[in-house]
Amino acid sequence: MKTRTTIAIVGLLVAGMAAASAASEKPLLLRNGNIITVSGESIPGGDILIRDGKIAGVGKGLTAPEAETIDLQGRWVMPGIIDSHSHIALEGDVNESGDLITSEVDVKDVINPQDLNIYNALTGGVTTVHTMHGSANPIAGRGIVLKLRWGGSAEDLIFKGAPITSKWALGENPKQSNFSGPGKARYPKSRMGVEASIRLEFEQAKEYARKWREYERAVEASRARKGKSPAPMPPKKDLRLEGIVEILDGKVWVRCHAYQSEEMLSIMRLCKEYGVKLACFEHALEGYRIAEELVRDGVAISVFADFWGYKWEAYNTMPHNAALAAKRGVVVALNSDDAERMRHLFNDAAKTMRFGGLSELEALRTLTINPAKILGVDKRVGTIEPGKDADLAVFNRNPLDPFTVCQMTIVDGKVLFDRDKYLEDRKKAEEAAKAKDADAKAPKSETPKGEV
Amino acid sequence: MTVKKIIFIIGSTLLALAVFLAGREAGPVYLIRNATIVPVTGPQIENGSLLIENGRIKALGREIPAPAGAEIIDASGQFVYPGFIDAYTHYGLAEIAAIPSTVDVREMGKENPEVRAAWAINPFSVHFGTGRVNGTTTALVAPSGGTFPGISALIKMDGWSLPEMAISETATSLINFPMTPRPAGEGGAAPKETTEDVTSKIVDKIKDYLGEARRYLQLKALASGDPKIEAPAYSAKYEALAPVLDGSLPVILSVEKAKDIELALKFVREQKIKAVFRGCSQGFKVADKLKAAGIPVIIDSLYQGPSEPEDGYDAPYRNVVELARAGITICFSSGDDPSSGKDLTYHAAKAVAFGLDRDEAIKALTINPAKVFGLEARLGSLEPGKDADLFISEGDPLDARTGVKAMFINGRKVDMSNWWERQYEKWKARPIHDRP
Repeated sequence: MKTRTTIAIVGLLVAGMAAASAASEKPLLLRNGNIITVSGESIPGGDILIRDGKIAGVGKGLTAPEAETIDLQGRWVMPGIIDSHSHIALEGDVNESGDLITSEVDVKDVINPQDLNIYNALTGGVTTVHTMHGSANPIAGRGIVLKLRWGGSAEDLIFKGAPITSKWALGENPKQSNFSGPGKARYPKSRMGVEASIRLEFEQAKEYARKWREYERAVEASRARKGKSPAPMPPKKDLRLEGIVEILDGKVWVRCHAYQSEEMLSIMRLCKEYGVKLACFEHALEGYRIAEELVRDGVAISVFADFWGYKWEAYNTMPHNAALAAKRGVVVALNSDDAERMRHLFNDAAKTMRFGGLSELEALRTLTINPAKILGVDKRVGTIEPGKDADLAVFNRNPLDPFTVCQMTIVDGKVLFDRDKYLEDRKKAEEAAKAKDADAKAPKSETPKGEV
Repeated sequence: MTVKKIIFIIGSTLLALAVFLAGREAGPVYLIRNATIVPVTGPQIENGSLLIENGRIKALGREIPAPAGAEIIDASGQFVYPGFIDAYTHYGLAEIAAIPSTVDVREMGKENPEVRAAWAINPFSVHFGTGRVNGTTTALVAPSGGTFPGISALIKMDGWSLPEMAISETATSLINFPMTPRPAGEGGAAPKETTEDVTSKIVDKIKDYLGEARRYLQLKALASGDPKIEAPAYSAKYEALAPVLDGSLPVILSVEKAKDIELALKFVREQKIKAVFRGCSQGFKVADKLKAAGIPVIIDSLYQGPSEPEDGYDAPYRNVVELARAGITICFSSGDDPSSGKDLTYHAAKAVAFGLDRDEAIKALTINPAKVFGLEARLGSLEPGKDADLFISEGDPLDARTGVKAMFINGRKVDMSNWWERQYEKWKARPIHDRP
């Protein structure tokens, strides 16, 4: 058993690593695919040329004699799926729940490039994820966008140039409604307290920023007088408040976990008041109710297709949420929030066609260009266009077909998941294990081979 | 007695009779026409008709003349399937998982073989309505937790009261088998548990408990025939195990890993119980043994990864394919969360995507569970005389892009409106530019 285990694991990992290391400079030509560009018309029987990890050309009859060629045999190609709300590739617990505000923590410090969930995500066509702190605090830590460069280091995974995010949470989780036991009695215990705690923190951060500005002015003044007046004492450094200051300065994009429409409206008012960049509500199960307000304030929503009913604030919703909001102009992304659901996202998108009537293209946008916009990486990923990163997912049928299977996932032009290869490796590993088992069961010969 | 009085008495009697009859199951007569009919146990009928009368399927075929007073339903371009049977759920036992007052899934302690789901099912749970949208008309509702969770009920997904919904209030008993922990150093398990065979010890405890129940029943039988023998004190728990021990009540035995499945097979043989396995996520490794034992398998939600990562990323789907290929009777189920009840068909579709024959998938949603629960005479296919539990779908019922248009349970047209649809209708109507 143990041997079989080791063989299988090695098989899986090697497949990933080898692919990652085969970072040949050679261009890659994907021929004869059913290309869903998302940005424009789909191209049946189309080709994609990839150079240096970027899409160099999309169209029919492309040629590149020097390129390595993969014949897609009419398989479907879509932009790599982007999961705008996840907690994968992180080491350990994602909630710093003991304190109310934890804006000093950063998921960047705990990226785990060996998390098997990265590979699982690739098997579902996912190429980019936004991975975050949990929802235990009104203002939690910083989140980060990762490219699923399986086989690479923590540093390799980071999507360079993507805005840093700040995770907030409203409602039942920060007020700890559904948790009991020792240590679960901290403030806040109501939605009022959640909002009050955010306001209070903002005021303290403004004061903190003011002190530092004063100090900097005093330093300037002291310099101007060539040290004739004594150098000022710097204020006490506070990493937590610095995390809030960067929010107030608009340097990070706020991703706010919220379910109920009224708490969303309330926090939208607050963000306007303080000039905070509120990028997106997470879950937003009642987002459909306030589509107009979301459009007005330019706030997107990142939602489940149909996961609901598990707690009170998740009850007043329906699987039509994504489609109804999208049809009213809201930028909507479908997300997983779960390492397992992540590899079913293309199935989730199909549901938005029945529940609320999105078109095929609109459904696919919720997995591609919409999350790319929400994460501020839409110039790099989310469509199949020349100049964009070569992040692609290949399916044997239309990705929205109920019987479709992801066949291949490409990140920066590198094939990091290939189902055909996986099946081949699996077969080999299982045959080897069988042979080994048979060997172990066979009667031992008197003189073992290789011994003299 | 005046003529007026007589007329009044006759009149009111007739009225009362009419009201009584209207409220009965018999219901109206429906003729579905121009549909592609998928009977499951017989060949597909193109442009077919199906007649519903007295709560039953009266006839189906190419041409069926409309009886007087029948409501004609034109299902051109649509499909008629027998209602799907969800082989393991908590419908009506759990409303909102995070709110304990709405959850009645498990009793305290480990051994509760006497508690019945039927005593607690809420027929007005919102999840019945949302669960029906993909064609589910019958569900097994099971209690869970501990070693002996209790007794499941098999119910129709619509009705005015639980007794009216219940096909059987004592459908199966349940046993949860332990799961062998992973060896130390391979992640996930407490290292101290690896040196001894914890699983076998827990299985021995289950055997001991059944042994005690046997002795109780034997003593009771002896005492009833011999006044000199003192009868044992009444035990509801052991009484509830009597039909399990004599093999008359099937047991759903939850078990996952290959090694544990082998233990469970031995256990079932020794205890001579009638078992249905549930889960069996590593069943594909011992499919021949499962097949030889003739034990059906209820597949759990496929929204889960492999039970061990080295089984490969697609092990949950491959498992279903290989179990079916080995000739094992499989049933699908939506699993632990009734709010995800409609996902029943998505699990089936996922298995088809990875190689399960589509017709087998439909059987695993219909005739297979009907057989497993001993109700193939009433459920699981479109045949004359069977319960009129069926639905009309606009496309392949396994396709998430299309939906169920109409449903009949016991020959009654089911209201397909539900909690989701009501909210959708309401909020779709919110005017834009309605508030400053």
